[in-house]
Amino acid sequence: MKKALLCSAVAAGLFAGNALAERGSDGQLNIIYWQAASILNPYLSGGTKDIESASMVIEPLAHYDETGTMVPNLVDEIPTVDNGGVSEDLKSITWKLSDGLMWSDGTPVTAADVAFTAEYCLHPEGGCQQASNFTDVESVEAIDDSTVKVNFSVAKPFPYGPFVGAQAPVIQKAQFENCMGAKAPECTDANFGPIGTGPYVVTEFKANDVVSLKANPNYRDAAKPAFATVVFKGGGDAASAARSVLETGEFDYAWNLQVEPEILSKMAAAGKGTVVSSFGTSVERLMVNMTNPDPALGDKRATVEGGPHPFLTDPAVRTALSKAIDREILVEVGYGEAGQPTCNVLPAPAIYASTANDACLGQDIEAAKKLLDDAGWVPGSDGVREKDGVRLSILYQTSTNSVRQATQALVKQWWAEIGVETELRNIDASVFFGGDQSSPDTFQKFFADIEMYTNNFDGTDPENYMANWSCKEIPSPENQWLGDNMPRYCNPEYDALVAEMSTTAKLEDRAALAKKMNDMLMQEGAMIPLIHRGGVSAHANSLEGVRMNEWDSELWNIADWKRAE
Amino acid sequence: MGAEAILRVDGLSMYFPVYRGVLRKKVGEIKAVDEVSFDIAKGETLGLVGESGCGKSTTGRAILKLYDPTAGRIELQGKDITDLEGDALREIRTDMQMIFQDPQACLNPRMTVGSIIAEPLDEHTRLKKRQKRERVRELLNAVGMNPDFENRYPHEFSGGQRQRIGIARALALEPKFIVCDEPIAALDVSIQAQVVNLLEDLQKEHDLTYLFISHDLSMVRHIADRIAVMYLGRLVELAPRQQLYTMPRHPYTKALLSAVPEPDPAREAVRERIILKGDVPSPANPPSGCNFSTRCPIAEEKCRRETPAWREMDGGRFVACHMVQ
Amino acid sequence: MLNYTIRRLLFAIPTLLVISFLIFAILDLAPSDPTGNLPLTIPPEVREKIRLSLGLGEPFPIRYLKWLQQFFINEPLNMIEQWFGITIGDSENRLRVQSWATRSPVVDLIVERMPQTLWVVGMSYVVGILIAIPIGVISAYKQYSVFDQVGTFISMVGFSVPTFFTGLVLIVVFSSTLGWLPSIYDTTHKVTDLASFWFQVKQMIMPVMVLALFNASQLSRFMRASMLDNLSQDYVRTARAKGLKERAVLLIHVLRNSLIPVVTVIALGIPQIFGGAIITEQIFRVNGLGQLLIIGIQGADIPLVQTLTFIFAVLIVLFNLLADIVYGILDPRIRYE
Repeated sequence: MKKALLCSAVAAGLFAGNALAERGSDGQLNIIYWQAASILNPYLSGGTKDIESASMVIEPLAHYDETGTMVPNLVDEIPTVDNGGVSEDLKSITWKLSDGLMWSDGTPVTAADVAFTAEYCLHPEGGCQQASNFTDVESVEAIDDSTVKVNFSVAKPFPYGPFVGAQAPVIQKAQFENCMGAKAPECTDANFGPIGTGPYVVTEFKANDVVSLKANPNYRDAAKPAFATVVFKGGGDAASAARSVLETGEFDYAWNLQVEPEILSKMAAAGKGTVVSSFGTSVERLMVNMTNPDPALGDKRATVEGGPHPFLTDPAVRTALSKAIDREILVEVGYGEAGQPTCNVLPAPAIYASTANDACLGQDIEAAKKLLDDAGWVPGSDGVREKDGVRLSILYQTSTNSVRQATQALVKQWWAEIGVETELRNIDASVFFGGDQSSPDTFQKFFADIEMYTNNFDGTDPENYMANWSCKEIPSPENQWLGDNMPRYCNPEYDALVAEMSTTAKLEDRAALAKKMNDMLMQEGAMIPLIHRGGVSAHANSLEGVRMNEWDSELWNIADWKRAE
Repeated sequence: MGAEAILRVDGLSMYFPVYRGVLRKKVGEIKAVDEVSFDIAKGETLGLVGESGCGKSTTGRAILKLYDPTAGRIELQGKDITDLEGDALREIRTDMQMIFQDPQACLNPRMTVGSIIAEPLDEHTRLKKRQKRERVRELLNAVGMNPDFENRYPHEFSGGQRQRIGIARALALEPKFIVCDEPIAALDVSIQAQVVNLLEDLQKEHDLTYLFISHDLSMVRHIADRIAVMYLGRLVELAPRQQLYTMPRHPYTKALLSAVPEPDPAREAVRERIILKGDVPSPANPPSGCNFSTRCPIAEEKCRRETPAWREMDGGRFVACHMVQ
Repeated sequence: MLNYTIRRLLFAIPTLLVISFLIFAILDLAPSDPTGNLPLTIPPEVREKIRLSLGLGEPFPIRYLKWLQQFFINEPLNMIEQWFGITIGDSENRLRVQSWATRSPVVDLIVERMPQTLWVVGMSYVVGILIAIPIGVISAYKQYSVFDQVGTFISMVGFSVPTFFTGLVLIVVFSSTLGWLPSIYDTTHKVTDLASFWFQVKQMIMPVMVLALFNASQLSRFMRASMLDNLSQDYVRTARAKGLKERAVLLIHVLRNSLIPVVTVIALGIPQIFGGAIITEQIFRVNGLGQLLIIGIQGADIPLVQTLTFIFAVLIVLFNLLADIVYGILDPRIRYE
């Protein structure tokens, strides 16, 4: 503590004697995340709270801004094929660091640090949680002190995985050199207080509680950051976090306010703060099981070998289920500012968003009934439609969460109106999303007819995301149920599009391919998208400079935040 | 009698209210003690006998002001103590003490014998620590206990020993008057005589006056100079010991005495027992007229109508009965 | 008494070993996964690697034995090293119990959390006792009086209204509406002068009072019952007959005897303090041991949960013993051989 006091006193003295009095002139910034930061090393934690808290300290070479566009951060320009930064064969990308970059400890940032970062994450025993950002990286070499070249083993039309966005920041080689692989978790000091290039440096870290930071004396922009200190408090729940910004004004910024829309707007009425939202790629969707989850099938349950689903393989049924849903009401009830109805699994960035499926936006119970009637599904004695002895009876599962359960209840009611019987089930999130091989309740095993959850992709490029629904991604006992193609959708045409995209470099062409894939998935009904979900945060009216961002850390531009005059 | 009365009780009544129901409304009262009057002369032992529940103990406690009497008057050494409260009452307590029935329960389990006996000394005297200790040892010695026991706790003793501790405690402040509330009822028969003898010895030594409450007629006959008989909250007869035992007047006294076995087998053989019919009525709802009228073998119409007066007869005898002339 | 204590402590060892095994087994059988809360964008093969790096690849008995070694050998050694500033053996490579979520030693996390938990939860316990005892005494002494009735009512309210509700009401009134007290506890706050002490008091008031009300309502009922029990004892009448002042009768005779069971209950409740108050800590963001535990459970941070629960088990066993010993000291009738 004494040391910290001394440090800040020295720092204050420095600033006072410095003509650039603006840095640190706005006092303290209070940020509240209702999930507390556990660690400040994003390579050892995939949690958003950890990535975002670390983003104040360690930075990537380039950020995504709030529109999803890449902006240079530690470099002067984004390498592309056109400017020669990306090789013609799409197998390498060369980044050139800006001049005069310094770590917060005063040592220069070099290409060796960047190369080391890749080495750190690619170490096979490290359990690096951001390894997917380094997919297909063969090597990263420091060509000179400021030039670093990333070589890929395959042609990478979108080579911006490593070092772009808050998930892949650059860490200091000198600090983490002895923390490679199995030793990574033992470097508690480094993991709790990484040395970075960001606007703030850690003064005290209390795991799962609070991070105290102060302005980085060596930050590259001498006038920034405006705040002398930052407190990043964690814990509690979203509603009280919202209250602390909107009602009591104790905090300046609150993250991820998953609060009932009505409560949030009431709080905002107090006039102390503003609710902001932004939309990324998260879509709450219903996954439709194309395989048969019948328990009688034993080991073959919910696998391709187990055979097709008795009725969900009928396109009429899938379309009818989608038509019966009123997405507007779902938004109103559960999401408010944080959601909008969507008919696409790929709703953003704008160039990828298709408009071909917007018909689903309006609810049409009659049309849904007619579809089922025409397909030969007729109501039985109990009102549930059936055909050839097969009843339209659905087991609908999701994770335990009040909004999801409300959605389930509404959907069940609409489906009942069209003569479909629904049994609801909810499973604790850590079980549902946890990949425990022995649990029958994981979302990968999908021992149900319909399941609901949200997924998204990092960054702005949908290539990997859209590849999720290729045939080889189907989870099965052979691949330990590891696979992202939950609907077990398999279409050679679709796979061909996936392959094509992986060799296409031009952005417009890629966009056209992505749209085509999205439309194919939607029209075949492998998924029923419901809500395009955004992030909702709140900031005090006295805080300026917040540019809410779903493509990167919400705190990506915290260096520019300042007190309103 | 001759000697002056140390205690004079006049029309003492002790009623306990009865609450019932959700709101605990007062629905009546239990007449535990009803218009009891008697005197005790200095150095005398008055025995107070009756069945359990008849109000003997309550009378004793009310006299010592452990309860606030509902009505009546209590005079100790010529001083009216009925309405004393607070410090004045505490002062008078040095003159009157009580020995309780259950020697286990009436000793604070967490205090040593020494501190139990010394506590009244702390409260009422200004003795030095050493003097107090001496006094405690002296008292223990006086009741026939080893003075070295002062550091022990009550649970380490037998019932008889505990009662001795209780007596030592009662004697600590050299009271003039002691209420012995069934002091031997909880003790083994073999111990009872020892304790009674101790009480008699102490009485002679310290010139004590006792109100000896008991249901054991033979023990009372042994210790008491005069005996009062109580039935359902009221005194029915009071007479010198010899008179009462040889010639009881009140039908209830007769019935009680007829139940005492005779030590002489010849007389025991011809002893005629009077068996009372029925149960003792509830003190919350006593019969009209004479309390005893419901069970009295000689009751007449008048008995059920009028409460008999407490009348003085010849030879210092008091009786409350219409049938006794 | 010493022999008794030693014997009890010896018996506690196998008990605690069995408890530690049971906790470990239950946590292992629970269908939660440390990677379950990670974003879905993290691919399954990366998840599998993470699991392996956490040591989940090894069989159950090995993991349990490793934990035993870490907890019972490595941690105490580390503690000794820190206290005396010495090095014993190969301390560089000695593995301590590591939390999966924070990748830091669990014991350090617990030590870091201790101050706020002891301050807030401990203080609430003390305040609760200070409120409960006079209320219990007066309620019993004046049984069925207005005071007693009101006390009973408040106790019932305090006991039956959950702390998340009282906490919220207090925040809405004192933070949102009146703006007098902070709704969020600042764990980094250091008391250096009068002003900072005042701030500490202000931020402690609400969480402490919420918990104190809850604790006090239980204890005051207990105190009242115990007082009533003793008030009707014969020795109380003896004390009055001795001519003691009513205060002395109440405080020396009745209260002291009534406190014996209450003190036992208080001692038995002390491990709860270390357990923290999960809900209250969450509401006011005191972020003590309770919050640490709940985060550990939510994130399937098994070493953290295992270690914390085990420490609670140890405390419960120890304080049970302590309660017995205290009872023996306070009540001369009890003797342990």
